[in-house]
Amino acid sequence: MPQHEDAHAASQIDEVRSALLAFVTRSFMVNEADIDRDRSLIDQGVIDSFGLVEITAFIFQQFAVEVREEDMTREAFGSLNKMARFVARRMREHA
Amino acid sequence: MSSARCTRCVLSSSFPGLTFDGEGVCSFCRGELMLTSEESAVEHARRQVEQLFAVRTRPYDAVLCNSGGKDSSYTLKLAVEKYGLRVLSFTLDNGFISPKAFENIRCVVDALGVDHLTVRPSMQILRRIFKAAALLPIYRDKTLTRISAGCNACISIVNTTGLRLALEKSAPFILAGFTLGQIPANAIVYRNNFRFLAESREESLGRLRAAVGREVDEYYGIGDSLLDRAGPSPHNVNLLCLERVTDEEIVQAVQVLGWQRPKDVDGCSSNCQLNTFNNHVHQRRFGYSPYELELSHLIRKGLMSREEALEKIADQPLEQLAAIASRLELSPPERVALWIPPGRPPA
Repeated sequence: MPQHEDAHAASQIDEVRSALLAFVTRSFMVNEADIDRDRSLIDQGVIDSFGLVEITAFIFQQFAVEVREEDMTREAFGSLNKMARFVARRMREHA
Repeated sequence: MSSARCTRCVLSSSFPGLTFDGEGVCSFCRGELMLTSEESAVEHARRQVEQLFAVRTRPYDAVLCNSGGKDSSYTLKLAVEKYGLRVLSFTLDNGFISPKAFENIRCVVDALGVDHLTVRPSMQILRRIFKAAALLPIYRDKTLTRISAGCNACISIVNTTGLRLALEKSAPFILAGFTLGQIPANAIVYRNNFRFLAESREESLGRLRAAVGREVDEYYGIGDSLLDRAGPSPHNVNLLCLERVTDEEIVQAVQVLGWQRPKDVDGCSSNCQLNTFNNHVHQRRFGYSPYELELSHLIRKGLMSREEALEKIADQPLEQLAAIASRLELSPPERVALWIPPGRPPA
């Protein structure tokens, strides 16, 4: 991948991560500082299974990325950082 | 422990993350914590249901988690009479279901001509699970804003049993009697990847396993062989969320089928005697009732008055706590830890 595309991908991931973080902190009433971005939000007790449904609905509304059942894996949804990378990748694929 | 409440709904000041304005109105009532437009989410779910229910499956379209309470009874009525689904109803007998609730289950499934199963896990294991949920930090506090630890432990078994039955019977839908307030508007119709959820819950299950034993895996897990041979995950559908209906209207509708309100449960339950114990532990630990979020939602929707909600929260037959503690075989120090008055020691 050319360097400028690399930089674009990184900034897109940052943008998605910020939006997800804002949604999670506001919706689930937690402080940013209390969220470990590399750990599962369910494991951390930030969200439950319904919270996961809410996040997938937010991802669809905000980024037009549909999350299918098979997308819900530890690799894609196992942490906030992983979610941001997953969403940004999907956005690039559909650009 | 008691605390001030929002002057419009019944949320306590001890509810996490709330702020109050000068008139004592909470941030939920001021609309600051709305996640998405509820109306649009309900409308979207209605369209999904219409589309999904157009395809029918044999022998069952849906498995219904039937607690015997008014909400699941009404959901069964909707499923059969309004949507024409072929339903397999099941009840998880947690050992604390009111006898009247069992009568209600029989009346309602017979009146609607529905097949029904009762699943009764080992009471020895369930007792240990409920004790652990009450005494130990099995679940994170954040998980427990809308549900008590004991109910969370129980409903997780119900959900797993429902999914297992749906996979075994190839039923494409799992129905439950949740209302808006108990669940978010985006979760009226949803699918989850069980393997991912199971992995994500491994920390809390690990704590439960450490307290209770490896037997918990039988109740909270689904074998790989069943998951592998099953098709796509069933959709979870909460039909009651699509109806604009009051508690009283629900009761009236199910009474036609022979349902009668049990008199041996608290104001927030219409089926389970353990609820009083779970509410008590939650209230003492966190300073608010696990039903506050749900009841406050009903108030904001104009489906319940604040006075009715306060009555429900206050209607807790605390005199039953000692008997429940005995049935759970709580030791005297465990009773003290859970603020339960001394009673007859375990046999």
